[in-house]
Amino acid sequence: MKALLRRNEFYLLLVIVVFSLAITIVNPAFFTVENMFDLLRSSSGMAILAVGFFVVLLSGGIDISFPAVAIVAQYITVNAIISLGIDNLWLAFAISSAIGIAFGAVNAFFISVFRIPTFIVTLGTMNIFHGAMLEFVGTKAVNAGQLPNAFKGFGLADIFSLHRADGTAYGLSVFFLVLVGVILVTWVILKYTVLGRVIYAMGGNMEAVKRSGFNIRRTQFFIYCYVGFLASIMGIIHVSLIRYSNATYIIDSELLHVIAAVILGGASILGGSGTLTGTLLGVVMISILEKNLVLLGLSSYWQQFFVGLIIVLGVSITHIQKRIQNRRSLALARE
Amino acid sequence: MNSKLSNNLTLFCILLVVTGIMTVFLPAQFLTLRNFTSMGLQFPEYGLLALANMLAMITGGIDLSVVSIASLSGVISASFLSQYATLGLPVGTVILVGILIALTVSVLCGLLNGVIIAYARVPAIIATLGTQGLFLGISIIITKGHGIGGFPPAFLFIGNGSVLGMPTQFVIFVIIALLVGLVLTRTPQGFSMLMYGSSPQVARFSGINNEMVLIKTYVLTGLLSGVASLVIISGVNSIRPGYGADYLLLSILIAILGGTDPAGGFGTVLGLTLAIFIMQILQSGLNILSFSPFMKKFIWGLLLLAVMVFHYYRRMYALRRAVRKSSQNPPPAAPKEALSGQSA
Repeated sequence: MKALLRRNEFYLLLVIVVFSLAITIVNPAFFTVENMFDLLRSSSGMAILAVGFFVVLLSGGIDISFPAVAIVAQYITVNAIISLGIDNLWLAFAISSAIGIAFGAVNAFFISVFRIPTFIVTLGTMNIFHGAMLEFVGTKAVNAGQLPNAFKGFGLADIFSLHRADGTAYGLSVFFLVLVGVILVTWVILKYTVLGRVIYAMGGNMEAVKRSGFNIRRTQFFIYCYVGFLASIMGIIHVSLIRYSNATYIIDSELLHVIAAVILGGASILGGSGTLTGTLLGVVMISILEKNLVLLGLSSYWQQFFVGLIIVLGVSITHIQKRIQNRRSLALARE
Repeated sequence: MNSKLSNNLTLFCILLVVTGIMTVFLPAQFLTLRNFTSMGLQFPEYGLLALANMLAMITGGIDLSVVSIASLSGVISASFLSQYATLGLPVGTVILVGILIALTVSVLCGLLNGVIIAYARVPAIIATLGTQGLFLGISIIITKGHGIGGFPPAFLFIGNGSVLGMPTQFVIFVIIALLVGLVLTRTPQGFSMLMYGSSPQVARFSGINNEMVLIKTYVLTGLLSGVASLVIISGVNSIRPGYGADYLLLSILIAILGGTDPAGGFGTVLGLTLAIFIMQILQSGLNILSFSPFMKKFIWGLLLLAVMVFHYYRRMYALRRAVRKSSQNPPPAAPKEALSGQSA
């Protein structure tokens, strides 16, 4: 019980429950199976991005290029599928992941070979990827009419469906299945493989990992390629969800939201600590907030403000907590 | 001292080369008074933000909120200034108060950054990423996403007037840059910043109040963003939240191109100014050749990485030379290990 009370996740869950209750009182339609399914459908993409960002953060790095990777992978894939004329979802995933992994490798190359700070590398590549796509591929949006059926089908596919009172159906989107897959794979890697433990250790103490003889370069290549890969999957999910591919989507909106979610989930920005559960709870919190601010009587103008506030308060509180803990253990050691 | 000189010498050569290329290939458009005046009008906006980021980087930090601070202080000051007709106050007072409002807001924003970074010990990247959202959010709430415009005509002097034949904002930039240079080289604050950037521990043990140094640093970066906001709103006679979003990349790129070490401990105003000139000439070159904004985005990204890779090779070269030197006079043979740090 005591251990539970100390966990950041516990408090986050508490906040989510209280917040959900508050919304339910204002709007009873919030706490229905249909709305939960809808929330899962619309936030699966963000959750996948958050998992990727979480892995980078664990290793002590930061990657701000993932929204650019997601949109570039999406836009190029959609256009490639249209011009190839092969309307196949698997092909779309193949093209998109190839782009995502390649972009990740570019990040990893600069980070590991030239030892440039991760933030600066990804700031540069973000502009390179997105700028190059806008310049050389195009800027024209692809609307629902032009969008290949594979995407539309993927967006409408449900794992199972239920019926409303009037006989129309609603269901749990297959996006959720993709998300569960991503979570499982990431969890297994982080928990049960040497690679995962090295990622944790890199965030804790890079020098120690180096001295222990682990191959940091290879691990960094894995981390950034994995983030790129996850971002590219999100790109496909995103276009399937909204049935529209605009060359400037994702880039502005998702970055702060994802970072806010991961930080809210208790992952340390300095690396080395944090849990997947926390990250996912953070995503739940941010998505509920994002979609229900209006219900609480606040206009959508407040969204940016709240996301910023969450990041600022979230990091400040976790860092102050850590300082107090350190001081306590120091005092104990003295006694 | 030596690296300072060689860094600025390198930048000066690049500047000469860039200017030379432009003069040879685009003499008709580049070598005109109009082009130079318009360059002088353009760069102070982001030059001030680059100065801000240089200061943050010298302490090993970064300030991602500069554009948002400029946006917020611009919006608040603009909502006051645009009411000048109905306030019934003398125009001079209105303008003075408007300027004071912008500067106060920006100092408060910087203070918030500083407190979070110094006392909560949050890394600057993430602290200012958060406040960036926060400040922009507040300016969106205030304006409901619209623009605010229509200031007293006399106020537009900052962004459109001229002093001794030079654009006012150019003069403002020169004065501010000189002041920042003085702070860096002639005041205890500047010395403490450089020292903190090289090693927070050493700074702490030398009796420097690290927290105060950081807070003052971010108050300064805030203030510089506030001055930039005045130049911006006066230049276009309006403000819209989100204006100048591209300036963030540009300000970081210029600071790094100017030789500022993002890990902290090194940076000069002269280097930064040379970097601004290089970037402005490149910019107007790209404009004359009518490159799209997308292409510019692409090129700035490439340039950022290229500069970092260049710094990496220079560092390795210096290290190698140091090792060679030390192996010639046998006793201190230790540094070899530092070079083969990543042999695995």
